[in-house]
Amino acid sequence: MAGTVIGAGITIEGEVISDEEVVVQGTIRGKLQAKEGVTVEAGAVVEADIHGGPMVVAGSVTGNIVSSDRVDLQSGARVVGNVKASRITIADGAQFKGNVDMDV
Amino acid sequence: MANDTNDTRTVLGRGTRVRGRITGGQDLEIHGHVEGEISASGEVSIESTGTVSSSIAAHSIVVRGAVRGDLTAEDSVHLEDGARVVGDVRAPRIAIAQGALLKGYVQTGEASAQRPAAARKAVAAAPAVRTAPVAVARPVVATPPRKVEKPAAAPPPPPAPVKRPVVTLAGAKAAPSPVVPALKKGAKGALAKKRG
Repeated sequence: MAGTVIGAGITIEGEVISDEEVVVQGTIRGKLQAKEGVTVEAGAVVEADIHGGPMVVAGSVTGNIVSSDRVDLQSGARVVGNVKASRITIADGAQFKGNVDMDV
Repeated sequence: MANDTNDTRTVLGRGTRVRGRITGGQDLEIHGHVEGEISASGEVSIESTGTVSSSIAAHSIVVRGAVRGDLTAEDSVHLEDGARVVGDVRAPRIAIAQGALLKGYVQTGEASAQRPAAARKAVAAAPAVRTAPVAVARPVVATPPRKVEKPAAAPPPPPAPVKRPVVTLAGAKAAPSPVVPALKKGAKGALAKKRG
């Protein structure tokens, strides 16, 4: 089980900073930082800049994403913002609007 | 993905810090740190590693960690062993287990009523959560005796030598009392006789 889970009915307005993996099913507005990675599940809404390890996005993200590892935008994901990571995958069916920066 | 067992539960892990407001209709389990208001319509539990430094409103609240802020529950508040709470507690049902530390106003029954202003002041002046019990005990015990001693010792010396040097000499032999009595007429003569 992940260290931190923001459940579907929960809204956080502010900063979330974690040394663990963070799974978001609910809503976060503000800032999200997680060393061990972030999973934004389908139905989740993140209106925040996201920093951290490997990221999987299946929900909605409005904000910039910066990952030290990889970012996977899964089918059904909706991302508005810039993505900076060493590896990025965008699945068929993912909506994405923003710049990609891959340290080329 | 990571959690197929408890989908309706929100968990803030030990390594997680939240600065801001948390609202929602779910159970909330806090192992990490929260600086910001929490309001949930489910159960909020602050586990032994968890710290919350603001008020919590929920259906029910269970505390095993540290809270600095008011706890208000529609149903119940449980302070378990290891809980450290500085703040007011209001709920229809409140349980404080042995080993729980609490500093604040407690009210069972309706959660709406206000607390007395005096109690609020006391809590506002209270120090950090962990040190609260020690710091509270000291000033109460230590201050009163000191205050009593000082005024008793201070006043005598100045008036005695300056105003009535004669009496001081006599008083020094008879009694060391620092209080200078007003002598009646003729008393001076009586003293002279005795010495005489």
